[in-house]
Amino acid sequence: MRDDYTSELGHGLKWAYLLGIVGALLAPVFYVIYISFNEHGFAARIYEFTFEWYRVVLGDIMLVASLEWSIYLALGAVATAIPMGLMAAKLYKRTRHKVGFVTLMLSPLFVPADILASSLLVFFRHVNGVFELLGEALGWEWLTHWFELGFLTALIGQIVYTLPYAFVIILITMSRYHPQQTEAARGCGATGWQAFWQVEFPQIKAGVFSACAFVVILSFNEATRTALLKGGFDTFANVLVSQMLNVGMSGESYAMGGIMSIVAMTVIGGFIIYTLFRSERLERVARAKAEPLMSD
Amino acid sequence: MVLFFAIPMTATVVWSVFERTQFWMEPGFTFLAYENFFTSARVENYLNSMIHSAWAVVISFALGFPIAVFVRRRVPRVAQHRVILLFILPFMISELVRVFAMRPVLGRYGLVNTFLMDIGLISEPITVILFSPLGVIIGDVLSFLPFMVFAGFLAMEAVQLYVFEVCDDLGAGGVRTFRDVIVPLAAPGIFAGSVFIFVNSLGVALVPIILGGPGAVNAGLIVNQAIVALDFPLAMAISTIMIATLMALLYIGHRLFDLTKILEPIN
Repeated sequence: MRDDYTSELGHGLKWAYLLGIVGALLAPVFYVIYISFNEHGFAARIYEFTFEWYRVVLGDIMLVASLEWSIYLALGAVATAIPMGLMAAKLYKRTRHKVGFVTLMLSPLFVPADILASSLLVFFRHVNGVFELLGEALGWEWLTHWFELGFLTALIGQIVYTLPYAFVIILITMSRYHPQQTEAARGCGATGWQAFWQVEFPQIKAGVFSACAFVVILSFNEATRTALLKGGFDTFANVLVSQMLNVGMSGESYAMGGIMSIVAMTVIGGFIIYTLFRSERLERVARAKAEPLMSD
Repeated sequence: MVLFFAIPMTATVVWSVFERTQFWMEPGFTFLAYENFFTSARVENYLNSMIHSAWAVVISFALGFPIAVFVRRRVPRVAQHRVILLFILPFMISELVRVFAMRPVLGRYGLVNTFLMDIGLISEPITVILFSPLGVIIGDVLSFLPFMVFAGFLAMEAVQLYVFEVCDDLGAGGVRTFRDVIVPLAAPGIFAGSVFIFVNSLGVALVPIILGGPGAVNAGLIVNQAIVALDFPLAMAISTIMIATLMALLYIGHRLFDLTKILEPIN
C-alpha cells in the first residue's frame, strides 16, 4: 500500500529496518551454527570446516538416548495437544462464555515456565501421595506409581505448555470456516462425524498441520518444565542446559545448539514456505474464478 | 486445563502457607515463607528484576511495535501475514539456543566486540553487555520481541486503513498519528504483548542464569533456588506473588483497554 505522502527512500528504510530486526534475531543462532562447524571451536584464529562435533554428538549413546526421549515427548504432545486443541476450538465456537473459556485456554502463555513447572511439581507430588494411599487401601499396586515424576508428568507439563498454541492456530483457521456448511451437510443427512471429517476438516487441515509442526518444535525445544517434571530421564535440551552450566561451552554444545536450530528451521521454514505457496495457489484459484465475472 | 493448570495454580496459594519440613511440607497455616521473602534480599532482587523486565518491555515496544504498524499500514493486505510469518522463525528456535547464542556474540571475544575493535571504534572489549543486568535485558528483548510484533499486529488488524488516510488528509505528522491515534486504538494488543514480555522476563530463569552472571536473579530463578534448597513453601509463596502480579496487571489492562478486543479478528 503506497500513498502520496510516502517517499521511496523512507519506504525502503522501513523495509530495511524490518529485515534488520529479523536478521538481528537470527544472527546469533546462525553464528552458533557457524561455530559448530569449526574444528577449533569458538574464538579460534583459524576456521577449519568440520562435521566432527556433530559426529561426536550423534556418536554419544547418552545424547542419542536423550534425543529419542525428546522425540517421544514431542510425539506424545502432538498426539494429545492437537485433538484437544481442535476440540477446544470447536467448543469455543459454541460456548456463550467465550471470555472465561479463552482466558483459561490462553493463561499458560502468560505464566513463566519456572513458575508453572514448580506448581506442577508440587501438585504431582501431592497427587502421587493420594494415589499411593488409594493404591494401598484398595490393594491396587499399579495405582501407586501413576504420578511419580517420569514420562507422564513431563508429557502433561508439555501439553499444558503447547495446548494454547495449538488452540490459537486452529481457532484462527477455523474463523474462516462458515458453520452453515456443517448445517447444510447435516441437513443432507450426514452424521456429525461425516460433516466434520468430509466438510469441515479439509478446510481447516492446514491449520491443524501447522499446529502439529508448532507443537513438535515447542516440545522439542522445551527445557525448563521438563527439567523439573521428567524424573529419571534426560531430553536433548536438558542435556544441553546441564552441559552449558556444568561443563561450559564446548564444540559439542555448539553442535547440539546447531542440531536444535536446524531442526526448528527445517520444520518451521518448511511450514512457512508451504503456507506461502498455498496462499499463492488459493489466490490464483480465486482470481481464476473472478475472471469470467469481471469480463461480463 | 482445569485439572493440570487452574487447580495447581490455585493450590499454589494454599501450599504457600503450609509449614516447611526437612524435605517437604505439611498442612498448616503460616506466613513464614512470605516473611522469609519480604525480609530478605530476595525482595530487593525481585524488585530489581521487575525494573529490568520493565526496560525489556519498553525496548521491545520501541523496536517491535513500529514494525506491526508498518506492516499493517504500508504492506499490501495479501502480503501482510506473510511478512509477519518472518518473525515466527526466530520465535520458534529454542529460547535456550537463542539465549545461549548470545554468549559468543556478546562475550569479551565475541562477534560484537571483535567487529567493533576491527573497525577501530573501540580499543578494549566492552564487558558490560554480558554477565550483567544489561546482558539480561538484551537477552529478554531478543527472546520476547517477536511477541510484541504478533500482539501489535493482531491489534492493528482491528484498525481500519481509512483511519490512516484521515490522519494523512488532515496533515497530522507521523509522531502525532502514532501517539494520538494508533497507540490508543492498538492499546489492547500493546498491553497484552507488554504483559507477556514483562511476566516472562520476570519469571524465565534461563536468561539470568546464562547471561546475567553471578549476581543476576529474577523471580523464576529465586523459585528454582528455593526448590533446590527444598524450601517448597517459599517457592510457592514467590509463585503466588508472581501470579498475583500477573492477575493484577491483566485485571487493570482489561478494565482500561478491554482485552477481549484482541480476539475480534478471530471471532
